[in-house]
Parts: sequence; C-alpha cells; structure tokens
Amino acid sequence: MPKKVALNVISAAKIYAPIQIENLDEKRIVPQMMIRRRLTRNAKITLYIADKCGFKGGKIVYASAFGELQSTVGITDAILNNAPISPTLFQNSVYNSAPSYFSLLNNDKDEIITISSGMKSSLDALKTAALQALVSKERILCVATECLSIENIQEVNQCTSYLEAGAGVVLEIADDEAGALNIQDLKEEGVIDSLQDLFRVVNMSEKGVVKVFIEL
Amino acid sequence: MKAYVNAYESKSCAGDTQELMDAIYSKRTGVTIDTSYMPDAPVGLGKMRYEDFFEAMNEVVGDVLKNSNLDDFKETLLIVGSSVGGMQESERIYFKDKNYKNIDPSRHAIGVIAESLDKKFAFADTRSISTACTSSANAFLLAKRLINVGAYKNVLVVGADALCHTTVCGFYALGVLSSKACAPFNEGREGMNVAEAIAAILVQDQMSNDSIELVGVGASSDAYHMTNPDPEANGAMASMSDALKDASLDASAIDYVNAHGTGTLANDKVEGLAVENLFDGVYVSSTKAITGHVLGAAAAIEAIISCEVIKRGLIPAQANLTEAENKTLNIPRENVAQNVKYVISNSFAFGGNNASLIFGGLSQCPKK
Repeated sequence: MPKKVALNVISAAKIYAPIQIENLDEKRIVPQMMIRRRLTRNAKITLYIADKCGFKGGKIVYASAFGELQSTVGITDAILNNAPISPTLFQNSVYNSAPSYFSLLNNDKDEIITISSGMKSSLDALKTAALQALVSKERILCVATECLSIENIQEVNQCTSYLEAGAGVVLEIADDEAGALNIQDLKEEGVIDSLQDLFRVVNMSEKGVVKVFIEL
Repeated sequence: MKAYVNAYESKSCAGDTQELMDAIYSKRTGVTIDTSYMPDAPVGLGKMRYEDFFEAMNEVVGDVLKNSNLDDFKETLLIVGSSVGGMQESERIYFKDKNYKNIDPSRHAIGVIAESLDKKFAFADTRSISTACTSSANAFLLAKRLINVGAYKNVLVVGADALCHTTVCGFYALGVLSSKACAPFNEGREGMNVAEAIAAILVQDQMSNDSIELVGVGASSDAYHMTNPDPEANGAMASMSDALKDASLDASAIDYVNAHGTGTLANDKVEGLAVENLFDGVYVSSTKAITGHVLGAAAAIEAIISCEVIKRGLIPAQANLTEAENKTLNIPRENVAQNVKYVISNSFAFGGNNASLIFGGLSQCPKK
C-alpha cells in the first residue's frame, strides 16, 4: 500500500463556466495593468483561486492536463499562416505559466511544481502537495485549472461541459490522523476529469471535512 | 532513506550515453545546421535519429531495465519530465489537416509520455511534471524526496522532449537561437540550440556496486520575469544554496558545476554571476555545446553526464569556447582528470523556475 499522510484542509475554492468565467476579480487582484494584460486565462483563474484560499505565498503545486492551450494554438496558427509568432504567446505557452505569474505578482520565491498527468493531473498534484507538505512542514497551495476555450474546440472536446474550470486547496500536514477521511466520491458533474480529484477535496471541505488522507 | 542513481541510458543528437560522453570529451558537437523548420533562417539544432520518438523512448527505458537489478517496473514509480509531450504529433496532424478532428487530445498532452511508457512497462504509478526547462530536474527533486520519506523504493526518472515547430519557431521569435552550435559562456555568443533527447535514470533506496548518490536537491523561483533571469542571480543562487543545504555540504565541497549554460546572453551571464558568488574557483562548463538544449529533458541527460563525470574522474572542457565573457570563472579549456566527489547540475526555466541537483560519488565506487 502506498504511504498515506493526513492533511488539514485550511481553505478551498472552485469556479467553472461553460465557455468563459465572467468575473475573476482581476482588477483588484492584479492592479498592475501591464501585467494583467499579459496573463493567461489559466493564470487569472489560478490567481482567483489563490486569492479565495487566502494564499499569499509559499510552495505551490499546480496542475493542468492541457496547459496553455490558447497560447499554443496561437503559435501553431501563426506557423501555419507564415505569420510572426508573438514572443508573449511563446513565453506564456509553458505549462508553468499560471503559477509563475502568481510568483511574479506576489514576490513568491519558493518552489513551484507543475503536474500534467493527463486525466489524473489533480490527483497527482494532491499527492505532490502532500509530499511537499510532509517534507517542508509548510502550508502548500495545490491548484489545478483547465482553459479549453479555443475556436473549434468542439472538434475534439468530448470530455467536459465547462471549458474553463479551476479548483484549489491550501493544505498542511496534520498533527495526527484522527478524523481524517479518504477522498470521497463527490464529483462535480460536467467538469473535466483532470480536475475532479481536487474538486472532490474542495467539495469535502464545503461539507465541513477538515482533514483528508492523501497517498504520496 | 538515501537516494542512489543505479542505472541509466540516454539518446540525444550525440548518440547513446557512451557516444555522448565520447563526444563531450572530444568536444564534438551533435548540433547540426538546419533549415527544415525555418527555410529562411538556418539555426543550429540537436536532432536525434529515430523512426518513432515513442519507440525510441521504449528502447531507452528497456535498456535501463536490462542494466538494473529489477525484473520489471511493477514496484517502480515513473516520474516524467517533459515540456512538449505529444506536441510533435499533434502539430503534424494539424499542419496537414488544418483542423483538430484527427488529433487525440490525450496524445497531445504532456501525460502521453508516461501513459505510453506505462502501457509498455506497467509501472506501480506514474507522474508527469512540466515546468519547461526544469521539468526533469523537478522530477529528480520529487524522486529524492519520495525515497527519503520511504514512499517508494524505486523511482524511474525519464526526461523526454522531441523537437517541434512550436519550440524551434518560438525560441526564434524570442531572438535567442544561434545559427551555429552554441558557445556557452563565450564572449559574443549568439544564443542557444533547441534539441531533443530521451534520458532515463533509475533512482533507488539501495546502493548497488556502481551507485552515484543523489545527495541534494534545491529549487526556487526568481519572481522577476517570465523569460529573463533575475540579473542579480538571486534565484539561481537560491536553488544551488538549497541543494547544498539539502546535501549538508559546503560550497567548497563541489568539484564541478555542470551549468545550465544554454548559450543565451542572459542565462550565461546570470548563471556565471551565481557561480562566481557562491563558489571559489570551481570548475564550470556546459555540455549543451554538444547536446544542444533538450528543454524538459535537460536535467535528466545532464544528471547522466554528472554521474559519468564522477565515475570517470574527468571534468569536461567547455566546447566552442574561444574567449570567456566572465574572466573570473574557472572554465576548463581541456578535460581535467581529478577525483570528482561532488557535481552540482543546474536547470533554469521560463517563469523563473530554478532547480539544482547534487550528485556524489561513493568511495566504494570503482573509477572507470
């Protein structure tokens, strides 16, 4: 059996929308206009979730199965059309863009790990966050987002009713295992599978669960 | 539990691991000048020879299994580090069809590498990390910590990135590509070479008779800029300092810095400053002059190079160096034969993501 650890769930947040999430409170969270204009949708959702979780800085474990799809599509379309590639699109195309923008905006110089494990991305992020919490004894932000809202996505999208979604929790190692629960099957209907495990933990938190077991 | 590197294999533009080390020690670059991605702009690229990238991955991982003390990977965690995943294949389909209909989303994402290897080798579990050019460095960071806490006995770290239009043309758009083989730390260097590679390293909690210990890992964020490194080198110094702390080592214990050394103006200047500030005359060189920059696979292939440097007791000269920009760095112009106890290997990435790994020789390891 893989080693399990008990973690306190300090805070939790989630958000999703069929096409695009309308209000991510960007002007308040990112008052600097120049940076705000460069943010990817994943970054905006990550910043929103971190804000809702009250996370100001520290170690982050971020997850996304498909990463910065909008930037990637912009680059491949430019190549296909022999058009110049925007340097901003390219710098934003890496999978760790979203948590890196958090780091930049919050002067957070701590470790950032980005997981992209297909449909088990958020489960693997939770496992990684548990390890980081165990090793560091610090509070860890575990956040996962997907932004699939690109033109013609219907040609390949068979996996979600919500093209934008994100969830996050702040976790810390619990002093003991008393009252800790395994991740329960509190699925968020219609949300992409890559985020479901984190949504389950958020939903447990919303039902009052304060301690969870996560395998390393 | 301690973490030991017990078996590895790689493929890059410089060949397999044996051929790679021969190329490094003879300063023979695997980078070639290429116009297939951008007909009007010749650039130096590190291209591997393969029919199918995924089949080449199976061969590399199969070789590691053969060279290990394991019969299979059923009790081994696979951690993949990659920055492009299946993008090479999805680009090919998209450029041909001009729509997404024949693209399998699961084969586009980073996770396809682990899924493909799991299908072939049946691991206990898999995980995939994508932090751009530190992807496989962070895979090692997790591997060491998982072994340290006793969560796994065996972890296979795989770094794998294939060349694709997005990375070649994207780096070109940033104006950081070199039209010839890159010249890390050289005055007047042009930039980097995008390249591809596969490297697989078995990390275990038990020593073998040819082990190298993964003694320290460190990571940090610059919190400075999405692509440019902090000019004061605080992030680079922090990841190296954290690795030294994790290893309980003083900087003076390090014999060789296997630099990130991409050949870009910004990286080499800042990394040179970080090495200058932290160490006193340590040997430093970058093997990317031979392999090119293999992006998410860089730390994995450079981990293998670091282990080989320790086993062979031979610090590699800096290839393509005519005049060093930073005159205070101790950049060897010829290979240096000496007992090498500890090597630190750096990886830095977009988003200001930094990671450093320290490998240490064991006294009982026979020198080759």
